[in-house]
Amino acid sequence: MPQDPLWYKDAVIYQVHVRTFYDSTGDGIGDFRGLAQKLDYLQDLGINTIWLMPFFPSPLRDDGYDIADYFSVHPSYGTVEDFKLFLEAAHLRGIRVIIEMVLNHTSDQHPWFQESRSSRDNPKRDWYVWSETDDRYRDTRIIFVDTEMSNWAWDPISKQYYWHRFFSHQPDLNYDNPVVREQMWQVMKFWLEMGVDAFRLDAVPYLLERENTNCENLPETHQVLKELRGRLDKEFPGRMLLAEANQWPADLRPYFGDGDEFHMAFHFPLMPRMFMGLKLEDRKPITEILQQTPAIPETCQWCLFLRNHDELTLEMVTDMERDYMYDEYAKDKSMRINLGIRRRLAPLLDNDRRRIELMNGMLMSMPGTPIIYYGDEIGMGDNVNLGDRNGVRTPMQWDGGWNGGFSAADPESLYSPLMLNPVYGYQAINVQSQKRFDHSLLSWMKRIIRVRKSAPVFGRGTIEFLYPANHRVLAYVRQLGKETILVVNNLSSAAQAVELDLKRFKGNILIEMFGKNIFPRIGDLPYLLTMGPYQFYWFRLRKV
Amino acid sequence: MAEESILTDDFLRELMNVGEVDILIGVPTFNDAKTVGQVVQAIRAGLLKYFPRQRAVIINVDGGSRDGTQDLVRAASISDLNHISNLNTLRTLHSISTRYEGGPSIGPALHTILAAADLLRATNCAIVSPDSTSFEPEWIERLLRPVVRDNVDLVTPIYRRHKFDGLLVSTLVYPMTRALYCKRVREPHPSDFAFSGRLATHFLEQDLWEQEACRIGAETCLTLAAINGGFRLSQSFLGERARAEHAPSDLVLAMRQTVGVLFWSMEASMPSCSPTTESEPVPTIGVEHEVSLEPLRINRKRLHQMFVHGVSELEPILRSILSDSTLSELRQVANIPEDDFRYSDELWVRTVYEFAASYHKAVISRDHILQALAPLYRGKAYTFLVQNREASADQVEQNVEQLCLTFEQTKPYLLEMWNGRK
Repeated sequence: MPQDPLWYKDAVIYQVHVRTFYDSTGDGIGDFRGLAQKLDYLQDLGINTIWLMPFFPSPLRDDGYDIADYFSVHPSYGTVEDFKLFLEAAHLRGIRVIIEMVLNHTSDQHPWFQESRSSRDNPKRDWYVWSETDDRYRDTRIIFVDTEMSNWAWDPISKQYYWHRFFSHQPDLNYDNPVVREQMWQVMKFWLEMGVDAFRLDAVPYLLERENTNCENLPETHQVLKELRGRLDKEFPGRMLLAEANQWPADLRPYFGDGDEFHMAFHFPLMPRMFMGLKLEDRKPITEILQQTPAIPETCQWCLFLRNHDELTLEMVTDMERDYMYDEYAKDKSMRINLGIRRRLAPLLDNDRRRIELMNGMLMSMPGTPIIYYGDEIGMGDNVNLGDRNGVRTPMQWDGGWNGGFSAADPESLYSPLMLNPVYGYQAINVQSQKRFDHSLLSWMKRIIRVRKSAPVFGRGTIEFLYPANHRVLAYVRQLGKETILVVNNLSSAAQAVELDLKRFKGNILIEMFGKNIFPRIGDLPYLLTMGPYQFYWFRLRKV
Repeated sequence: MAEESILTDDFLRELMNVGEVDILIGVPTFNDAKTVGQVVQAIRAGLLKYFPRQRAVIINVDGGSRDGTQDLVRAASISDLNHISNLNTLRTLHSISTRYEGGPSIGPALHTILAAADLLRATNCAIVSPDSTSFEPEWIERLLRPVVRDNVDLVTPIYRRHKFDGLLVSTLVYPMTRALYCKRVREPHPSDFAFSGRLATHFLEQDLWEQEACRIGAETCLTLAAINGGFRLSQSFLGERARAEHAPSDLVLAMRQTVGVLFWSMEASMPSCSPTTESEPVPTIGVEHEVSLEPLRINRKRLHQMFVHGVSELEPILRSILSDSTLSELRQVANIPEDDFRYSDELWVRTVYEFAASYHKAVISRDHILQALAPLYRGKAYTFLVQNREASADQVEQNVEQLCLTFEQTKPYLLEMWNGRK
């Protein structure tokens, strides 16, 4: 693999759960050998990084985020050897691999917890957070408000309460215990030595607890994370840590430290505001949140996404904004879960190709590293009837044949029902049919990824917003060295005229980056563009 | 469209940037720097609080202010550039300001606003007076809610007034409008009102923008157009309407803007005027306010003197306007000592109706007719003040209602005169 330590800035990440992608054994569940077989597809798509969701042994009560063994692979997905083969094959194609690391908690089926709960004097007793009462850390919010009443759960075996920030079957590890910290580093080291390129560290704000705080983003938590980063840099330079911390930008900023904590973090508040801006036909929600986003160290990067395996989270919006999002994007209450909306990209956008393209255009051109959620590149739909967030985790739709090309198993034995409806079903939406047409969504996604990758400015450049008087138009300039790119997005369902103040670029001509067509030279007057509904332009500025 | 020609290129460019809106608030101004900033802030707060999801624009049309009114409106504009003050808003709220030609007057101001509303396809509009010192964000909700949610076409205000405030409206404009058009619209000449895009388009298409009556009394014209057009009406209790201190009000100007427009409107409406002498109430929302009863210093003696003087001085003119019997009665009333003076409802209604008929027949210059009515109105105002000096709010209301009934019951007399049978 190329040795650029800032590789993650140029990455285009593809998020996938091994279970959902391709079943090579015919048991109805996707596996690593199957994923390896589909690497050519991903290489052809143009992505250069895969983010794998948890694949460890687990009772699967939280889609694998309840890990029962950190050193192995869930037997349904294959073996550690299969993972190694997949990793090697990915690297051969120039594709890096990010894996999940759930630091905060384990499954209650993990042997560590089984030992810990077995008696109060077990050596692993203080690997978890125990209490005689359930009234400690009372200022801490409950995250899964739909299912949990408390962050404490009673253990009938050792007759004490244990602390859990997520489901009660996911006890939190005790990071005040240095042995736990060392053990978790050994877990990470195990996979780093195998060659994984990065970790997505799950639920990092919650590692430690302190009385009279909300037990989130504590200085002690940052200290633990900095220790991990220090060891990573020392022993595995060039590897990367990605933070999952659903927080406001100002609260997220400390997770970058002085460039000595996380390399990347998800920009959670931006995502719902992109949907909001589109529905409102107003750039304000987007420019506003980006204005509030603090600068980050040179070596750090935001991770941007439209959709992922979870609900479209609405924790980082105001009540008014949340109500609006529910009314506009989840009129049917069954689409709502926790504080969010469990839907995929295409159904959220009414399967409107123009809006899907515009949203991907913004994703690919804003400052940060974009993530594509598997299936969104072909416009897969969702099934809200499947419970929890399983409706956005249905099998990848490869073709119009048996099980959508996902598995040779009987349909009844698939880990999840396939999408069958006439709009989003596998016979209508699949890779094979979209590969045949240059104007399919899949072909278009390939093009935009190619164009994005052709300009490092997107991953590494600065951003400066223009504020044309037409608020339906979101325009910004990306710059890196001598390269300047102008991005103009029409958020409106109607054609718009916009005048851009480009005086300081006077004399440049604009080259539209997809068709390479030349647009008029910038002069003294405001630059007038007319744009079709939901249209966007990427222009490279060139002085001739 | 003809309307578009009244929009300057710069204004058009700004409208283009605003695009289609759900709510348009028009603020016509002329040298209102003392109050307009506060009013625009209140409008903005009202829109953000009560209509956060609607696409909205505030449009200030100015008649040539020289006191920085337009700058103050522009300063109140929200954009995503000054996000600090803008955290709780869902979308961009535009405020734009433009100037119209021809000097300050409500006609061209409203014409400009309606043309803008038509271009922006605004479905809900409101006009807000810039000189109020008591305008509150809630007023935006009270005015617009019936239009936005209940498909009402015109919402006129009901203010909390002192019992002697707005006497011209109480003793003439309201009762006569009610009698003529059979709708009980309490403020036919509203300062703050809301209307639907349908009504805006309908009114915009009327061929009356060049008329003097529309130039000076466009609000009344709009109200009457809504009534005559069969549009859905509603009234909304707002609150006390306090205004910045102005030069003493000019009664003749007020007569031209209200009574003049009412008389003028009869030219078109009387041929099809319903002979019915009953009126319908207009649905009213909100909480009814107590009429303020605090003592008020009014120079009643001067009102009486001006009436007596007017009847005497204007007798040649009055003779060409009024019937012999009415003029004779007026003379008798003018001779009554002040302590016993009383201008009865019956005589007042006959006086007004005869003035209206004379206005129709243009027996003399129409403006002179209006000017001649002014001293007689002062006599009626004097009687109203004396009659209600000790009255409770309910009693005042009963007396206004009684006057309205007199106007309604005397309507056949007006029709006969109008048709030349008297």
